[in-house]
Amino acid sequence: MAVTVATHAAAGPAPAPSRPGRSSRPRRPRLPLLLIAPAALILLLVQAYPLGRVAALSFQGWGLAQIFSDQPAPFVGLDNFERILSDPVFWAALRRTLVLAAAMVTLTMLFGVGIALLMERLPAWLRRVVMSVLVLAWAVPTFVSTQVFAWMTQQNFGVFNYLFGLGQHNWYINPVEGLAVATAVVVWGAVPFIAVTTYAGLTQVPAELVESARMDGASGLQVLRRVTLPLLRPVLGIQIVLSVIWDFQVFNQIWLLRNASPEPEYQTLGIYAYMQAYQGHDYGYAGAVALVTVLLLAVLLVVYVRQLIRMGDLT
Amino acid sequence: MRRVLRGVYALLGIMVAVVWVFPVYWMATTAIKPGRDMYAAEPQLVPLHPTMQHINRVLHDAAFWQALRNSAGVTAVTVVLAMAVAFLSAVAVARFDFGGRRAFLASVLVVQLVPHVALIIPLFLTLSDLGLADTLTGLVVAYLAFALPFAVWTMRGFVAGVPRELEEAAMIDGCTPLQAFRRVTLPLVLPGLIATSIFTMILSWNEYLVAYFLTSTPDRYTLPLWLTHFITSEGAEFGPLMAGSTLIALPVAICFALAQRNLAHGLTAGAVKG
Repeated sequence: MAVTVATHAAAGPAPAPSRPGRSSRPRRPRLPLLLIAPAALILLLVQAYPLGRVAALSFQGWGLAQIFSDQPAPFVGLDNFERILSDPVFWAALRRTLVLAAAMVTLTMLFGVGIALLMERLPAWLRRVVMSVLVLAWAVPTFVSTQVFAWMTQQNFGVFNYLFGLGQHNWYINPVEGLAVATAVVVWGAVPFIAVTTYAGLTQVPAELVESARMDGASGLQVLRRVTLPLLRPVLGIQIVLSVIWDFQVFNQIWLLRNASPEPEYQTLGIYAYMQAYQGHDYGYAGAVALVTVLLLAVLLVVYVRQLIRMGDLT
Repeated sequence: MRRVLRGVYALLGIMVAVVWVFPVYWMATTAIKPGRDMYAAEPQLVPLHPTMQHINRVLHDAAFWQALRNSAGVTAVTVVLAMAVAFLSAVAVARFDFGGRRAFLASVLVVQLVPHVALIIPLFLTLSDLGLADTLTGLVVAYLAFALPFAVWTMRGFVAGVPRELEEAAMIDGCTPLQAFRRVTLPLVLPGLIATSIFTMILSWNEYLVAYFLTSTPDRYTLPLWLTHFITSEGAEFGPLMAGSTLIALPVAICFALAQRNLAHGLTAGAVKG
C-alpha cells in the first residue's frame, strides 16, 4: 500500500518552467483517448464497477441462496441501511475505527515530522544511520512486521514482556492493549514514509529564508512555526490525508494479530463488513456497511477531494 | 548550552534508530536462533548459537518455491504492464488536450479514496464472473488497478517535465516523431520509470489482503499467503515464520536501498516551493 503514497505526494505543482501552455498542446481527439483506454478500462473494471456493485448490493438481500442456487437477489430497498442504524455492533465498530484512526494518524505524524526535524539537527554520520534504518523499516511488508510484533508480544517468550519486566503478560486479553499493539505496528510501519518525505521537503526549504528570519531575530521555534512548517504545508497536508485513508481502513494488522478471527472487540468497520460477508454470508448487509465506510471517508476528506478536482483543473 | 542540546539530539537520534531497527533485528536474529534459545525464559538479545535450521526448513519447503515463483511472476507481469499502460496514459494527459482529460485525472486520484477492503467483496464477485477468481491473472488485474493511479500521476509529472522544444528540435534534425520520442523523451523519463516500477513492485510483492481473499488453491499462494502456513490454531511456529519473513523482506530491502535517492526525490519533486 505504500504505493498510493506518491501519487498524492507528487501531486504538487508540476515542474513548470519549460512546459508549454495548454493551448499549444496539439488537438488530436482520437489518439489520446486510445492512449488512456487501457488504464481507463482497468480502473473501470477493478475500481469503478466493483464500487457500483457494492452500491447495488447494499440495496439487495444477497445471501446464501444467491450463492448456491442462481436465485435472483431480491431488492430490499433501504432495509440494509435501516439495519445499520439499529445495529449496536456497527456503531461500536464505527467508534472504534474513528478512535483508532485518530490515534494512529496523530502518532504517525508527530513521530514522522519530529524525526524529520531531528534528522536536520543530527551530525551527518548519525543522520545517515537513522535514514538507513528508516528505509529498512519502510521496506518491511506489513504482514511481516505484524508477525514480528506478534512474536515480540508473545505471552511466554516475547521480548517485550522481558524488556519491560512484565512477566507473562497477555497483551490480547484486554482489547485496548491488543489494539495498542496494532497501533504500534501501524505507526512503526508508517513513520519512515512520513519522516523520509518530510525530511526531503525540509532540504528543499531555501536556506536564505531561514537565515534572514534568524537575522531578523527569530528564535529556532519561531523559524519553525513561521517559515519551515508553512512551507511544508502542502507535503504535510498530503501526508495527513493519506494517513487518514490508510488508517481508516486498517485491516491487516488487526486481522493477523488476532489469527484471522478477530473478536468483536477488535473489529473495525472493514473487518466487520468482511465478517458479515464471508462468515455471515450476508453480502447485501456487508455491501451496505462497506458503502457507508466509503461515504464516511469521503465526508472526512471532502476538502481534499475538492482540492484534487481543482488540481485537475490546473494541470 | 548548544553543546548540551547537540548531545540531546544525538541521543534522541540513537533512540530513534534503535526503536526502528529493533523489530528488524529481532526478526533476523530469531530466524537463526535454535529453538531452545528462542523459547528461553530470558530472551537472548544476541544470537549466541546461530543455526540454519529454520532457514533450511524454508528452503526445503516445496510450497515456498512455488509461492516464490507465483509472487515473482505476478510481480514481474504487474510491473511491466503497469509501466506500459501508465506511460501511455501519462503521455496522453501530459501532451494532449482532449475532452475527458480532466475527468480522467480527477478520477485517477479519487479512486484512491476507496478503501480496498470495501472493494474486496464485489471484486471477488466480479472476478468470479470473469473466471478470474482464484487465479494469478486475477491478482495481476487487481494489482494493476491499485498501482495505476500512482504510476499515471508520477509519470505524468516526468513526461510533462520534458520540454516539447527538445522533441521538436530532434524532429527538425530529421528524426521521426517516434524516434524523437525514443531518443529524447524516453531517456529523460527513465528515473520516473524506475521509481514507479519499484513502487509497483513492492505493492504486488507485499500485498496480502486481496491475495488472501481471492486465492484458495494452495498452488496459487503468493509468498505472504504461504507464510501463514506457520500459523496454526495451536499457535505460530515463530522460527520458520521469522526465517521466511526475513527471506521475503530481503529483496524489497535491497531494492529500497538501491533506489533510496530516487524514492525521496520522486516523492517530493516540486512539492515544496520557496
